[in-house]
Amino acid sequence: MNIRRAWDVCARELKLSPRSPLVFFAVAMPLLITFLVSSVFGSLLDVNPELAIVDLGDSEVTAAAVELDGIETTVLTDTSTLRERVEAHDFDAGFVLPSGFDTAIAAGESPDLEFYVSGESLASTRIILAVTTLDLVRDVEGSEPPVTVIVTPVGDQDYVPISDRFLPLMVIYAVMIAAMFLPAASLVDEREKRTLDAVLVTPTRMSEVLVGKGTYAVILAVILGVVTLALNGALAGQPLTMTLILFIGSVMLMLMGLALGLWARDITTMYTAIKGGGIIIFLPVIFTLFPGLPQWIPKLVPTYYFLQPINDIAIHGQTLGDVIPELLIAVAICIALVPLVGWVARRSEHQLAMTV
Amino acid sequence: MTGSRIAAIIRKDFREFSRNQFFVFITLLVLVTYVAVFWFLPDSVDETVRIGVSNSVLSTDVGGVTESGTAGFALEIYASEEELQTAVEEGRDGIVAGIAFPPNFFESTAAGETPTVRLLVPAGLPPEIQLLLEGAVSEIAFGIAGVAPPVDPITEAVILGADRAGNQISLREQMLPMILIMVLMVETFALSSLVAIEVQQRTVVAVLATPVRIVDFLAAKGIFGVGLALSEVVLLGLLIGAFAVNAPAVFVILLLGAVLVTGFGMIAGSYGHDFVGTLLASMLFMIPLMIPAFGALFPGSSPTWVKVLPTYGLVQALIDVTADGKSWSQIAPSLLLLAAWCLAAFAAGAFILRRRVATL
Repeated sequence: MNIRRAWDVCARELKLSPRSPLVFFAVAMPLLITFLVSSVFGSLLDVNPELAIVDLGDSEVTAAAVELDGIETTVLTDTSTLRERVEAHDFDAGFVLPSGFDTAIAAGESPDLEFYVSGESLASTRIILAVTTLDLVRDVEGSEPPVTVIVTPVGDQDYVPISDRFLPLMVIYAVMIAAMFLPAASLVDEREKRTLDAVLVTPTRMSEVLVGKGTYAVILAVILGVVTLALNGALAGQPLTMTLILFIGSVMLMLMGLALGLWARDITTMYTAIKGGGIIIFLPVIFTLFPGLPQWIPKLVPTYYFLQPINDIAIHGQTLGDVIPELLIAVAICIALVPLVGWVARRSEHQLAMTV
Repeated sequence: MTGSRIAAIIRKDFREFSRNQFFVFITLLVLVTYVAVFWFLPDSVDETVRIGVSNSVLSTDVGGVTESGTAGFALEIYASEEELQTAVEEGRDGIVAGIAFPPNFFESTAAGETPTVRLLVPAGLPPEIQLLLEGAVSEIAFGIAGVAPPVDPITEAVILGADRAGNQISLREQMLPMILIMVLMVETFALSSLVAIEVQQRTVVAVLATPVRIVDFLAAKGIFGVGLALSEVVLLGLLIGAFAVNAPAVFVILLLGAVLVTGFGMIAGSYGHDFVGTLLASMLFMIPLMIPAFGALFPGSSPTWVKVLPTYGLVQALIDVTADGKSWSQIAPSLLLLAAWCLAAFAAGAFILRRRVATL
């Protein structure tokens, strides 16, 4: 194999990439997914109870409610808006503090507190907001509870918040489109337009085409992977280790992409194969999102062996030394994929020779 | 415009679509996967926070809380603090945290002392649950000490809107419109691919060299697109029980949805220069069109900008019928909005495709 010719193929891919909608797609998707996960899905699965307050005086209850951790508090200006928005379930509950509420409470009176609950709010949310409201009013009342509460953390403290569990999803999107989809689509496109035939009648060999396309895909995937981790603040102070893991993962997906691109007879078949087989590639992501599921299942999937090390380092603070066993398996999978790609390449070359 | 010419083009499109057996197989596989995922989703909502309690002092009503708990708040009683701690660590009996009362809690509190209660909190416990625990312990102690609450938001709350306590919309019901809309959106791409291939391979030019007129071609593409999207989404709807309530209304909504995505499919197909271009053009439509369906998963009303998206009426009408069992008259505003968007999308799709074909 001639490295110079392989590099020429890679340089050609690089030169043509600004015109490719797929490269735009590969660059835009991680940014879009990062935005969606951080702004939409994270909050979807991690919803805090929402409380609205109309304060007709200047109650300390309002100030304390706004500071509450775990409850989203919004101060509204009028009662009718509060009622409308609670009914629409924009808020789980809301209450109206009349003028002079604090003074009345401090004087030991029982002033009216209009407490509205949305019919669509969960029973658990209702009781949380009601008890918390009562607690806030007790604070204003100034009565010390006749009990001391000590909070004792128990069990495994290595808990992963739901928003962090999306990290593998973002990484796999960033890497998969560039490392797998890009070389596969490029190969199929070149075969359909017969530009691959043209290249292969020059001294350039199929192996050099594959190395060139693969190198370009891996470079782009690693860059996008690092950018995605950086955007999510997940480089964990170990950028070189993360780059190495992303490189191994990108090579694995690139080899799968090359095999797919050589095997698929047209772009529709390739797209359909990704649509159908994508569930296997994404399997570790699902199991990270739902840690209650049996965790031996994702170990059957190759992508687990680079996604898990990224997760372990970014979320659990592990180091390269801790994730070496998984990475060695990932490297072994990459090595095992090389003969497969070689076999599909020879078969494809043979078919091309027959159709030239 | 003649029916026989349109039928001939539809037959050709159908043959092309079904010739790729792998494509058909995967389409069915995706359909089966959607159905499996749907039935795998939980069909009920657990509205109760379960708390473990040791050395229970709650055999009598104190602070409104008894051993049987209260709405949204259930208690599991453990014989000892050690047993409670193990249960919290293992998440046994569905408990999310524990309250370890000292053995003499009732007597000490009643005697005016200030006993110490331990909250056993596992990692990741939402802060609002901790607020609930701390508040509940305080109220129990206040109850024992005979200090009445100055206000009572627990029992005197006013419920606004239909009270769904104990009858919440499950994740499965919430996902039903979204799954149907996802399939419709995917069909945007399927139709745009078919249109794009005709344009790229210039087979449309060959077709128009025959007595077929452009209006026949557009009508055939429209009917095939609507038929393809509608058949798939109706099949899926039948498999996930979408027609259980007001089936005619659901069918009309899905029909309008199929017309809508066909319009966008024609636009995307007209602009796609190759597969990837078509995919990108389809995605540019699919992503914003999916937003109302995602928005429906969130509690509360949608922001105004979501309401102007073409699929808002589709999502709203589907939710109103399938989740809330609303009648024709109640969903009429959403249906009218959807119909207007259908007309606009289909007219725009036909116009753009016609212009694209004219340039070939």
